[in-house]
Amino acid sequence: MPVFRWGSPIEAFRDLEREVDRLLQSMNATFEGLRIGRPYPAINVYELDEEFLLTAELPGTRVEDLELSVGGRVLTMRGVRQDADEIDPDRYRRSERPRGEWERSLPLPDRVEEEKMYAELIHGVLKLHLPKAPSERPRHIPVTDASTGDGSTAIPTSSPANSAEPSDEQ
Amino acid sequence: MSSDETPRPSETNAEETTPAPRRWVCTPPIDIFESEEGLVLRADLPGVAADQLDLQVQDNKLTLFGRVGTAVPEGARLVHQEYHVGDFLRSFILSDEVDHERISARLNNGVLEVVLPKAEKPEPRRIEVRTE
Repeated sequence: MPVFRWGSPIEAFRDLEREVDRLLQSMNATFEGLRIGRPYPAINVYELDEEFLLTAELPGTRVEDLELSVGGRVLTMRGVRQDADEIDPDRYRRSERPRGEWERSLPLPDRVEEEKMYAELIHGVLKLHLPKAPSERPRHIPVTDASTGDGSTAIPTSSPANSAEPSDEQ
Repeated sequence: MSSDETPRPSETNAEETTPAPRRWVCTPPIDIFESEEGLVLRADLPGVAADQLDLQVQDNKLTLFGRVGTAVPEGARLVHQEYHVGDFLRSFILSDEVDHERISARLNNGVLEVVLPKAEKPEPRRIEVRTE
């Protein structure tokens, strides 16, 4: 006996459609290697002045379930979707949420600084920040006062104690 | 969808004052399974914070509406899109078996869990028969 019934027949039909959609999607995810499906997870990429921002919906994913790595200008995201508790499959009346392990790799544009990438996971949404390489951004050129004699270390910054990094002096 | 059937006071107010930009509404995928005390419903609501989730039971209908927070800063330009960011809406008709008073819910990492306890059947009551 169904405990959950749909409000109206039309809605039920729409829902069926969506469910078939989802089923196809999950099948596609399984056959990703056959190049017929959409890769999982779906991603969006946004561009800002200083960085690219990649977002992906990963509900139920904890930080420890997610592994991001980068190498050879390829970003690899790997994760597992599972609930904390094991539910006996016989107890399911409805099962639509995707689960299991997934992996997705993406090529990175040259303009991204791999070393400065960082990611956040908020309410099941991954936000991966891909800072643009300095050549892509308006560059700040330090100006030294040459009249003081040894201007090599006199980089005018607000905190002179720690700011004189070797890279800034070149 | 069913939003016109279940008025949400906070929602309608917001829409009247500011003509909000068109937002997508998505049907979240759900799981329903039996537990010892009744049924458990889990729904994927990525991007929804607990204070942005509206869960209500009216008559026999359970409606969940989750408003998705903005994940990207203003001025961000979408350069590649594989999914739509949208609010989540879905409603269910509950059976009489569910004890509406004891429904509880929590939201963690974008997954909503609603516990729908089974109503306790009243104990058979023995009626005393007297003789005059």
